Amino acid sequence: MREQWRLLQTGYDSAFSNMAIDKAILIANNKGRVPPTVRFYGWVPPAISIGYFQSLTDEVDIDICERLGVGYVRRITGGGAVFHEKEVTYSIVVPESHPEIPKNIIKSYGRICGAIIKGLEYLGIESAYAPINDIVAGGRKISGNAQTRKAGTVLQHGTVLMDVDVEKMFSLLKVPNEKIKDKLIADVKQRVTSIKHVVGNDVGFEEVASAMKRGFEEEFHVELIEGTLCDEERSLATKFEKECFSTEEWNFRR
Amino acid sequence: MKSQSTYKVPDGKLLKIFLDYDETSNVIRHIRITGDFFVYPEEAIELIEKKLINTAINKESLQKKISFIIHEHHIQFIGLNAEGLTKGILMCKL
Repeated sequence: MREQWRLLQTGYDSAFSNMAIDKAILIANNKGRVPPTVRFYGWVPPAISIGYFQSLTDEVDIDICERLGVGYVRRITGGGAVFHEKEVTYSIVVPESHPEIPKNIIKSYGRICGAIIKGLEYLGIESAYAPINDIVAGGRKISGNAQTRKAGTVLQHGTVLMDVDVEKMFSLLKVPNEKIKDKLIADVKQRVTSIKHVVGNDVGFEEVASAMKRGFEEEFHVELIEGTLCDEERSLATKFEKECFSTEEWNFRR
Repeated sequence: MKSQSTYKVPDGKLLKIFLDYDETSNVIRHIRITGDFFVYPEEAIELIEKKLINTAINKESLQKKISFIIHEHHIQFIGLNAEGLTKGILMCKL
């Protein structure tokens, strides 16, 4: 029988809540309370997440975010700023010691991205891992990913772009030089794609998530069993949201 | 003296440094190392920033100090390296 991991479909949440839930799963798995877990989720309101090492005020136009009702949050993972709107976001939490997880960080990125690549295949999209942390289709980015490891537990989360609005994204991000903004937008349009763009029509959240589920099952030779957050995870998530992700101290710390 | 730099690390990520340094003694007063790179463990970035205070801003001292901290604390950089970080700091003075 194949090993069973937990599948969580937590639906749409705010940026603070989404990041708090990922961290809660990481802690609960680290304590041995819950099995390895794959989670699919979305962002309402849409939000920008920035990498742990980025400066929020340097990357994001906070005033415009607030005016447009776009959330923002600092992740516990490194990497770049991401505008989360029309996408399926995944996270995977698994012990570093799991035989399917390479010890080498770059190799483990490749393995976990392998699940997304297999999932995209089910949607008829051919893609490939582009180190360090991207997946590209037709040479253009369709998924960005970021991983952390805490006390022997791996958390990787990432995006699968269903559609992308580069102009809106750039209205929220700070650009070093307004004069070259149009050129930057044109460049990014050339470098980024989405499921809608590749297959030629809208593919819904559920369909994408279900393809990704199969991708994870195949890549890791496991069966994903739908479950829910345990009580401990719920209370951890509430605590992390209140004490960390929603605070200015956390979001503006760098 | 406050200064900043943006440096694309070759084969790596975009490094943005915010530096406050003493012009007379040419040492770091305060430094923020930001960007879309990865550091394992993440908290090590704050340790590196703290340990770089009072380091002389020249290639040899910076690279030696950064390499020493990385080695001593088993820090892993992805999309960044000691050379790139040194270069980024030096660029703040250009």
